[in-house]
Amino acid sequence: MLSLLIWMPVLGAVLLTVWPSKLSAVRLRQIAFIIMAVVLGWTAVVGYAFTSSDASLQLREELPWLEGLGLSYRLSVDGLSFPLLVLNSLLTWLALHATEAKIQRPRLYYALILLLNAAVSGAFVAENLLLFFLFYELELIPLYLLISIWGGPRRGYAATKFLIYTAVSGVLLLGAFLGITWLGGMASFDYQPLLTQTIPVVQQCWLLGALLIGFGIKIPLVPFHTWLPDAHVEAGTPVSMLLAGVLLKLGTYGLIRYGMVLLPQGWETLAPWLATWAVITTLYGALMAIAQTDMKRMVAFSSIAHMGYILLACAAATPLSLLGAIFQMVSHGLISALLFALVGVVYQKTGTRNIEVLRGLLNPERGLPIIGSMMVLGVMASAGIPGMVGFISEFLVFRGSFPIFPLQTLLSIIGTGLTAVYFLLLVNRVFFGRLSPQVTDLPPVTWGDRFPGLILTGLIVLFGLQPAWMLNWSQATTTVLAAPLIRQPLITQATPVISPSSPL
Amino acid sequence: MNLAEGVQTISFALLALMMIGAALGVVLLDNIVYSAFLLGGVFISISGLYLLLNADFVSAAQILIYVGAVNVLILFAIMLVNKREDFSPVPRRWIRKGGAALVSVGLFALLGTMVVQTPWVIPANLPATTSTLIILGEHFFSDYLLPFELASVLLLMALVGAVVLARREYVLDDEASVGEMPQLPLQLPERPKEPVALSGTSAPSR
Amino acid sequence: MDFANLASQLNAGAILPEGIVIITLLVVLIADLIVGRAADRWTPYVAIAGLLAAVGALYLGWNRLETVSFLGSFNSDNLSLVFRGIIALATVVTILMSIRYVEQTGSDLGEYLTILLSATLGAMFLSGSEELVMIFISLETLSIASYLMTGYMKRDLRSNEAALKYLLIGAASSAIFLYGSSLLYGLSGGSTSLAGIAAGIANSSQSLGVLISLVFVIAGISFKISAVPFHQWTPDVYEGAPTPVVAFLSVASKAAGFALAVRFMTIAFPSVSDQWQFIFTALAILSMILGNVVAIAQTSMKRMLAYSSIGQAGFVMIGFVIGTESGYASMLFYLLIYLFMNLGAFTCIILFSLRTGTDQISDYAGLYQKDPLLTLALSICLLSLGGIPPLAGFFGKLYLFWAGWQAGAYGLVILGLLTSVVSIYYYIRVVKMMVVKEPQEMSETIKNYPALSWKPFGMRPLQVGLILTLITTSLAGILSNPLFNLVNASVADVPLFEAAVPIRPAAPVSLQVPATPLSAVVPQSAPQAQTLNVNLRS
Repeated sequence: MLSLLIWMPVLGAVLLTVWPSKLSAVRLRQIAFIIMAVVLGWTAVVGYAFTSSDASLQLREELPWLEGLGLSYRLSVDGLSFPLLVLNSLLTWLALHATEAKIQRPRLYYALILLLNAAVSGAFVAENLLLFFLFYELELIPLYLLISIWGGPRRGYAATKFLIYTAVSGVLLLGAFLGITWLGGMASFDYQPLLTQTIPVVQQCWLLGALLIGFGIKIPLVPFHTWLPDAHVEAGTPVSMLLAGVLLKLGTYGLIRYGMVLLPQGWETLAPWLATWAVITTLYGALMAIAQTDMKRMVAFSSIAHMGYILLACAAATPLSLLGAIFQMVSHGLISALLFALVGVVYQKTGTRNIEVLRGLLNPERGLPIIGSMMVLGVMASAGIPGMVGFISEFLVFRGSFPIFPLQTLLSIIGTGLTAVYFLLLVNRVFFGRLSPQVTDLPPVTWGDRFPGLILTGLIVLFGLQPAWMLNWSQATTTVLAAPLIRQPLITQATPVISPSSPL
Repeated sequence: MNLAEGVQTISFALLALMMIGAALGVVLLDNIVYSAFLLGGVFISISGLYLLLNADFVSAAQILIYVGAVNVLILFAIMLVNKREDFSPVPRRWIRKGGAALVSVGLFALLGTMVVQTPWVIPANLPATTSTLIILGEHFFSDYLLPFELASVLLLMALVGAVVLARREYVLDDEASVGEMPQLPLQLPERPKEPVALSGTSAPSR
Repeated sequence: MDFANLASQLNAGAILPEGIVIITLLVVLIADLIVGRAADRWTPYVAIAGLLAAVGALYLGWNRLETVSFLGSFNSDNLSLVFRGIIALATVVTILMSIRYVEQTGSDLGEYLTILLSATLGAMFLSGSEELVMIFISLETLSIASYLMTGYMKRDLRSNEAALKYLLIGAASSAIFLYGSSLLYGLSGGSTSLAGIAAGIANSSQSLGVLISLVFVIAGISFKISAVPFHQWTPDVYEGAPTPVVAFLSVASKAAGFALAVRFMTIAFPSVSDQWQFIFTALAILSMILGNVVAIAQTSMKRMLAYSSIGQAGFVMIGFVIGTESGYASMLFYLLIYLFMNLGAFTCIILFSLRTGTDQISDYAGLYQKDPLLTLALSICLLSLGGIPPLAGFFGKLYLFWAGWQAGAYGLVILGLLTSVVSIYYYIRVVKMMVVKEPQEMSETIKNYPALSWKPFGMRPLQVGLILTLITTSLAGILSNPLFNLVNASVADVPLFEAAVPIRPAAPVSLQVPATPLSAVVPQSAPQAQTLNVNLRS
């Protein structure tokens, strides 16, 4: 069942590559749509089979693969991975919509996108450390090529930077995985048996350090983040959507699944530092975003800031904060994908992303009114305005983390304020005011251009109003995930834990 | 020390002196013909050492092959080439020479120490043999059979290889069928790195 | 010792595969002699058939009860079978890629095949030799054949230079190896079998003599596997030698070197295992660092692959130095995988150089537009060499690192991981050059790229080799269970990896004249080397 999620895109990619007759770019695009729609539909089927009240790993599939290596083909899904899986299928489908119809070298492009989708799905459902690593590395080459072929002028530099950073991250992960398995006394990399390991705390801290840097490059956390703005700026719109929406989540997902759960004592020891690190990431990202003039770069830095919240929530590791972390992953996925999609449309129509050049795009006659409205909405969601998905997730994160790390949480809330600052700057300059003379003759925006944005906007509002529909998937899992880490909160309050089904 | 041992020691010393002296001459003399002849001296001294070790056949083979064949071949090669070319003196040559000498002396000291220090295992009762030839033959057809046979393949291959290298090549006229890229035969298809790009794809002539 | 008795003691069936190779060699040589150039049409296929038959014979020899043959000269245990299989297969692929290359350069195919087959023969014998004389003869067979093949393009200055360089350094390293062997012969009280040497030096294991002989022997072996700092010949020889020969040297010759290293070290030097492991660890570290770092700066594809092969040898050495069974198994596995991916890469660059006449990396720019198959194959092989999942090289590296980690060689594994990141960088540089460049950035060479045609003689085998290596490189990792069981089984039953000195009956014929065997060897092989030397100059 889960295998199909991986293999359908792979088969699709192979099909697209080896299809004998000549196909036009538009036709290839249609085929890719169909394949991804099937995958998305299949994700829905998986969702139907998924029991949200069951906290354990479910829908398991198991095949022996390479015993000599401790590698087995084990797939499963739980409340942590399922929302991300849905996000992956959805965003890939939308990213295909956001692709220009007449793209260069379409065969390779669509095949790589599908391959990327398969690799990410595989990483989310893998239940074997090595299998996860395999998929994690598998995503490297398609993304490298996607950036370096269809990117902007400095794409070679950005892609190489991305490649080196991610390769280093992979090496650290592999080292940490080898260490966990070997020190845990296991002969295989299977996930379940490793849950019972008893590695001394000091060694756990070392392993966790490797994992943190490894995943920290991917998330990205502050000193290791420099590849991300470059990659985003140079990558095309669909690739940016996927990169921000899905691929960054691999880092946080891995951190929860393999760092927090497998090495609980080490996690507990390092948690205060992690929370501080999260704050630094958030504030740094937000402050850098203020200083940017390129819209895409600004969104990229805001991405970094928002990923900091997730780390904060993970560091706190209460059931509520973890729920918040998962929700934040999804909401950030939706919001950043929306923002990148819209920035992409603006760039496509106006030819620039410089906020000092653009003015008054909300102009109903000659501007981009619908795109602009969606942009305003996305920005509001990102800044955590109630009624949209960003508010719920950030509220859950802060509410969950506050009892454990009050100071860090308060500082992070400042980050939210800064988000409002830079996005208001952006919206104010680009969309309000008089239409700037440089961008008067804008080509018309088709409904096809608006489609990804509309879908994402709809989802953002929908889950903002009815978060329970999604929180139900993860609630049971987060309780179990946080179980080994239940701690005495620093601030003892008699408030009952807010039921996540009714956070408003 | 009886007479036989005395004779042995003295002849060993003489042979060793001869060999080292000749070998130094091979390396140090500037005239290559002298070096070649002195190399013959080295080979002959070595065969003398073999005689001292009771290895009469090996000693004879040494003279026949090394002096009779290899050394003569070297001399032939030197005389056939017959190209007088004055070596321009390398600046700071003494550094290289000194370095080589230092390494050689160091290696000699190391190996000498090793020879002196090591407790060599010497079989106590070596039976007196009349002819080493028979023993060699026995070995060749019993426990050293496989290497002996393999050596025949080695020789065959070396023969073929020598022919290939020495043969004069006739450039065939019907080379049109060779392929897309016209080029001289027996050259790497890759262009050399030198800037021959001006002359297009044709290989450089020599 | 009567004949029947001797014949049964010889156990000659153990060298049946080598026998097949010898017969093939003779058939090729004689056919070429009688028929002339017309025989070129079919002699390569005879050679391939012979090698495949040899592989079949190796398969039949699996799990032999009596492995020691020729009175201790040769051991056809499962370990040697796998090594010999690797070598024979490498030669098959090498022949596939050679036909067109040799044809296009106008050289003689028959002699080329003869020399190549005898190199294979030497390498195969080397993998199972357990006796100094046998080791040296087979080593020389391999080496001299390699020198000859390196200088095969004799009108080309670079080929000549490479051959001469290879010959000189090779002869020196053979001499060093021989000196070390002779020391061992003396130290062990006149034994030439490896087991006898181990027994002879067991008591005096810490003496200076044993250590010096160990160092000398390792120096000789390291030359074959081109480990740093015995690698200086590699880049120049790789650049100057005909490319198929380079492919052979980088796989078969290296595999034979590793076979020799495993056998020599584990059987003859168990008493100084700490020392040789230390030396090989140092070699592995140096090879991984230097090979991978210097490869970044290369502009010629062949030179880059030369340095990358040095780095790859460093990875393989991880499996060797840790000295566990899984270490040896992973080393064998990696060599098997390496065979296909490296030969695949060489097939691709041969194809490219045949079509364009260049091997500069910058000339590959934009290749995907003109030749997608070549681009795909070269990309897959290079990415596999770099260890990108799910290609075979990734699993090979994983096995090596996992085995190393289990044995506690953390430092080596971490270094291996880091240097493999470096290697990804320079491999992907080539991939980027081929795939990413836009049509307007295409190099001049690619703009003049000839129309694709598999019609000319010798192209079809090249295509077969390309597809074969491509498929194997893509799938051998994912479906690596059978391969891994194979290498595990080959390591499991071999007594040589037991910690204690293996007890093995010494050669039945006692040695009476200590000076004979080694000096009997010298006149046979050394004159050849010198004759060649003269020939090259003339």
